[in-house]
Amino acid sequence: MKLRLLTLALAAVTIMSAQVKLPPYSKKTLPNGATLILLNKPDVPLVTVRALFRGGAEAESATQAGINSLTVELMRRGAGTRSAADFAEALDALGATLQTGSNRQVSFAGIEFLERTQNEALGLFSDFLARPQFPEDEFAKALAQRIDASKAAKDNPGAALGSYFPAFFYGSGHPYARPANGDELTLANLSRQSLVDWHKRMFVGRNLILIAAGAINEKTLTPQLERLAASLPAGEAYQWKQKVAPPAQKQPRLLLIDKPDSTQTYFMIATPGIDRTHPDRTQLEIVNTLFGGRFTSMLNDELRVNSGLTYGARSSVDEDRLPGAIAISTYTPTETTVKAIDLAVEVLNRLRTQGIDAEQLLSARNYIKGGFPTSNLETADQVASILGELEVFGLNKGEIDDYFSRLDAATLAEVNATAKKWFGAAPLQFLLVGNAEKIKEDVKKYAPNMKIHSIKDPGFSVPAF
Amino acid sequence: MHLHPSAVQTGCYSERMLRLGLALLLTALGAAASGMKVTTHTLENGMRILVHEDHDVPNAAMYLFYTVGSRNERPGITGISHYFEHMMFNGAKKYGPKQFDVVMEKAGGRNNAYTSRDITAYTNWFPNSAIEQMFDLEADRIRDLAFDPKIIESERGVVSSERRMAVDNSPFGTLYEQVNATAYTAHPYSWPVIGWASDIAAYSMEDLKAHFRMGYAPNNCILVMTGAVTHEQVVALAKKYLEPIPRQAPPPPVRTVEPPQLGERRIVIKRPAQLPLLLVSYHVPATKHADNAALEMLETVLSSGRSSRLHRRLVEQDQLVLSINAGQQLALDPTQFIFSMQVRSGVEPAKAEAALYEELAKIAKDGITETELAKAKNQQIAGFYRSLKTIAGKANLLGQYEIYHGDHRKLFTAVEELEKVTAADIQRVAAQYFGENNRTVGTLIPESRRPEAAR
Repeated sequence: MKLRLLTLALAAVTIMSAQVKLPPYSKKTLPNGATLILLNKPDVPLVTVRALFRGGAEAESATQAGINSLTVELMRRGAGTRSAADFAEALDALGATLQTGSNRQVSFAGIEFLERTQNEALGLFSDFLARPQFPEDEFAKALAQRIDASKAAKDNPGAALGSYFPAFFYGSGHPYARPANGDELTLANLSRQSLVDWHKRMFVGRNLILIAAGAINEKTLTPQLERLAASLPAGEAYQWKQKVAPPAQKQPRLLLIDKPDSTQTYFMIATPGIDRTHPDRTQLEIVNTLFGGRFTSMLNDELRVNSGLTYGARSSVDEDRLPGAIAISTYTPTETTVKAIDLAVEVLNRLRTQGIDAEQLLSARNYIKGGFPTSNLETADQVASILGELEVFGLNKGEIDDYFSRLDAATLAEVNATAKKWFGAAPLQFLLVGNAEKIKEDVKKYAPNMKIHSIKDPGFSVPAF
Repeated sequence: MHLHPSAVQTGCYSERMLRLGLALLLTALGAAASGMKVTTHTLENGMRILVHEDHDVPNAAMYLFYTVGSRNERPGITGISHYFEHMMFNGAKKYGPKQFDVVMEKAGGRNNAYTSRDITAYTNWFPNSAIEQMFDLEADRIRDLAFDPKIIESERGVVSSERRMAVDNSPFGTLYEQVNATAYTAHPYSWPVIGWASDIAAYSMEDLKAHFRMGYAPNNCILVMTGAVTHEQVVALAKKYLEPIPRQAPPPPVRTVEPPQLGERRIVIKRPAQLPLLLVSYHVPATKHADNAALEMLETVLSSGRSSRLHRRLVEQDQLVLSINAGQQLALDPTQFIFSMQVRSGVEPAKAEAALYEELAKIAKDGITETELAKAKNQQIAGFYRSLKTIAGKANLLGQYEIYHGDHRKLFTAVEELEKVTAADIQRVAAQYFGENNRTVGTLIPESRRPEAAR
């Protein structure tokens, strides 16, 4: 029976190995330096237009963390001749949505609208990008909301874990050392004027990547988007920071965030990783799939399926402009904290010492390929997101179009060498959120260099080690 | 990464909007123009099959909906439908423990599942090359599920962990569960879908086997396939793999009817939290009821988008809450229309509560404008298209419509029902359902220390 199954799976490989490719799109540079990309994908009568501005979290100073996401939030609270309320009314009346935010590389805003409302929707988007008013009362209101939201995040221990991680892992001074939306401490440093200045400096043509995808008519849309982009000054292009890696720790460290009411311990175990364009990325994606990237992964199999210690255990590999983390994350009842951490470390060591075998490699390749079309190329907004990513990281479309052949080219020996090189090669860094009183003695063994920090202390900063 | 078996649906309100939006789209375009061609087939054992072809990507979605959920449980075995959802991944006769996932992932597929009060749904996504493999896997576990005592124990730990995450370590989860248990005094909707912790700890082998016999009859299942497949291919595979599975007695009808509520009910939860929470819940009819369309429209007017009445008043104007959500879940039996609010720091929850009642009373007294009605319709048309972007979204929609309206074709006749919704209807349902005697109010008050008894 086993043999027959294997044959089946192998037969499947040849059928589904056909590379799915990016649909055709056009790209040009506009007079003010903006990049314009258009893609016709008329599955449903919706159009998505997304504006990316280079900079993102790495451009923020440590004391101004969160300025990107607060600036894009304010841009909709009064723009052109409309007040915040009128802008919201006009947007909803079209059935359109406007989503804003920021990540480590960019600030972004995406509007999605019914094709027949194109003129009205682009009018709103243009006001939003180029003519925000930054009213003082809306600034005060949005800031207060953000600060409360940052506090409320601590009611969700899983989210809190992720917010403490940057400061713990990267350490002060690193551009990634703070939570994406800032926290109550850094937000309090922002003023209306600081946002106005930020908008003027960062939201300029030379930083802009404008992408339209969906049910579009390239002929009519192109001049509209050109006018929209032209309403921004050329400005000065953001200069990316020098490549800097996470600090190389000489020994393990453990930070325990004390949440006395928690009945579970939420934890991450991390080690330095790669950036988005690193040559090891495809092999690391294969290794991570097998280690903690899917349901049957080594981590989930041991911690959930075999032992029932958790609802889920996973691992991730950051792929940002600067090298990031490779991290295990999961949670377990307070009483089984040590058992779960021991097991996670054991699985990591097993990957390092035993590696993966040919059957696993085949399975991982198939798994990645099988999910690739629906998670990347099925909808217009997925494709728009990929095109933006290629632009931001300076990658060419071979990143997508040749992906399957890169997966196929990775040999077992190479993949195992890569696993050994990255997974747990450096001293492990442990971050825990849980009931310190109950677990602090037991978790000391992972890192003599251990610190305890109360979740009640404001913000997501951490003590120095 | 999706980790099946997935979240229990507690306060999930999203489905509703997709459903209403669908009807409105059809208003706009006409059924034929929607491009949603659906073919059907019923197997001899009673399993119903819906197929929608879409060759945009070389992938397919296979959704199996069993009409069994926590409403089919009783005290002592609460949460067993959800627990069983987990057990369906733990091995059968041909494919032993772990093999469902191992074989599927190796063939390029992934899966998840969810349990609600009314249904248990199994969701598979895979390259179309794996289609026959999927039928073989599904048939094996429907026909010959294994009940290994050791695995049953290990899965208890997983489900308990899920409960601790979703309820015990979540202020919202804790409050929602208690409000729900207070709003219902008799009907099975009173217990949480994930079950009470003591029941999760106590299911017996016999409980599990009885539940499997009750819920997993092929005649209690709807199979929906969307994506790069053909009707002929799906029917041929269904005949080969699923048709031989014998028909069984379906779950017995749920007889208990929740008696009318005769006065407001209030509860308070005290536990550590950063900010207070407020839930206000009203009894409303089941999804099939004639008032459902008007209630859906009312919900959009109240809480969809930043210009909606409640967001404008409570979040922006008075700044009493950080966020407000409103809505009703799809339901086979009469359900709840729930308002949930994260109250701002330093604000008395009673103030937010009073502002909510004022807004609801305004609609009951003065109704809504034609502009608001038109806006709500546009929001829902766009929402509908968003739900149609993926083959997974389409599979879910078709199955839900088939179950909650009894026939997916009611999508097409529902259009006229929706077109009939007027501003006056919305005013009428607001007045009829949002009354003081019909509501249950729950407040979560942050406390620095949790009482020992609650640990």
